[in-house]
Amino acid sequence: MIRFFIVMLALAIPASTVRAQDKFENSPDARVLGDFKARVEKYDQLRNKADDAAPPLKESNDPAKIKDAQHGLAERIGAARAGVKQGDIFTPEIATVFKRLLRPEAKQHTTKEVLKEDKPVVLAFKVNGPYPDKQPVVTMPPNVLAAMPALPKDIEYRFIEKHLILRDARANLIIDYVPNAIP
Amino acid sequence: MSRLIVALTLFVAGAAVPMAQDVGLPNKADSLKFAIIGDSGTGSSAQYSVAKQLIAARAAFPYEFVLMLGDNLYSGSGEKDYRKKFEEPYKPLLDGGVKFYAALGNHDNANEKMYKPFNMNGERFYTFKPRPGFRIFALDSNYMDRSQLDWLEKELAASGSDWKVVFFHHPLYSSGGTHGSDEELRAQLEPLFLKYGVDVVLSGHEHFYERIKPQKGIYYFVSGGAGKLRKGDVGKTSLTAKAYDTGYHFMLAELGKTAMNFQTINQEGKIIDSAVLPRFSDADKKKMAVTTPTIGPR
Repeated sequence: MIRFFIVMLALAIPASTVRAQDKFENSPDARVLGDFKARVEKYDQLRNKADDAAPPLKESNDPAKIKDAQHGLAERIGAARAGVKQGDIFTPEIATVFKRLLRPEAKQHTTKEVLKEDKPVVLAFKVNGPYPDKQPVVTMPPNVLAAMPALPKDIEYRFIEKHLILRDARANLIIDYVPNAIP
Repeated sequence: MSRLIVALTLFVAGAAVPMAQDVGLPNKADSLKFAIIGDSGTGSSAQYSVAKQLIAARAAFPYEFVLMLGDNLYSGSGEKDYRKKFEEPYKPLLDGGVKFYAALGNHDNANEKMYKPFNMNGERFYTFKPRPGFRIFALDSNYMDRSQLDWLEKELAASGSDWKVVFFHHPLYSSGGTHGSDEELRAQLEPLFLKYGVDVVLSGHEHFYERIKPQKGIYYFVSGGAGKLRKGDVGKTSLTAKAYDTGYHFMLAELGKTAMNFQTINQEGKIIDSAVLPRFSDADKKKMAVTTPTIGPR
């Protein structure tokens, strides 16, 4: 009976999920990427706590309410992460692995084309600061996303020029970044 | 014999252009009627001109909803942006109960998904069934990650024999000089579209109109000119069934049991393309997926 449940459970997990997990779990980078995952999860927990501290961002007919909720969340996260600096999540060791994972993808002609399209003109940005929301976001090529570990909902990778950004899409906040992540 | 039928069907679909102006919309009671706008959210006079035609068209063709192909709000997502770039130009439609369903473009704030009139249910990708036999999928092509692909496969697999219309911002096929076809995205999505029998794919991003010749049994449209225009950007290539880049536009579509009728209309109310496109059977699509090579430029 137990064996039956194990088989059923295995069948219930989509094959692609298993592939994605295996890709990193069995790689030489597993320890470093495990560290990255733990740091991102810690951020996600902090955000959930910040979310619980005020009425959550929910669907509304009123754009002002959506914007207010976004700003409120960003402020609470910002306060909870006061003093945070670049490299707290993308430690030098983690950043090195990401650069290596990204290099073959970034070299592809089609990837270069996508990344240079509509790229935002950003004069300055910082950790714990807002992602520029009057500028277009750089589209993330699927092959680039597939090369990196999956992230929790509403946390995403983006690029600003050559810098890999870890962005909180709900709070529109820059969580951390890897400077010059791609050539 | 079956190969001959497939070839003939493709020929008929491709040859629909010359007689396009003669083809009206059947406007049948039991068909699914909707409108399509892409790259609309500029707040410019051009957007308002297109909106005016969109509103006028509904008097003769009572479409149920409007699909928004992304870039719904350019240059900001404050209260004023929603008002000037969405609520005001489409007010008569919103007041008349017409629903808008949005996909996110690269100029959109991710939190637009929380704006109720965009009907995204708080998700950056979603699906809805406007009535039995029809299934619509909205994707976030800015960020095609594993979780979205897994979701799409699950939903497509569950959609059975319904008409399947997928819309998202970045075109898989395009003859645009500025952007062109998104090959990386195509490599991820097209196998799923073929496996599960997607019928129609709608995208924006390019600020012009292009009807692509059927690719492996799927009809592709690029429609990103409801508020933006990039004049002279669409080079006519082997992909092109019909192209238009000298004015703004929107689309009307009607899905019946066996065919899709559509009209593409510019900001002056002139029909710039229309045709009847037969729905390919699953068997034909499978054959075309194998026998039809991908054509056209990058």
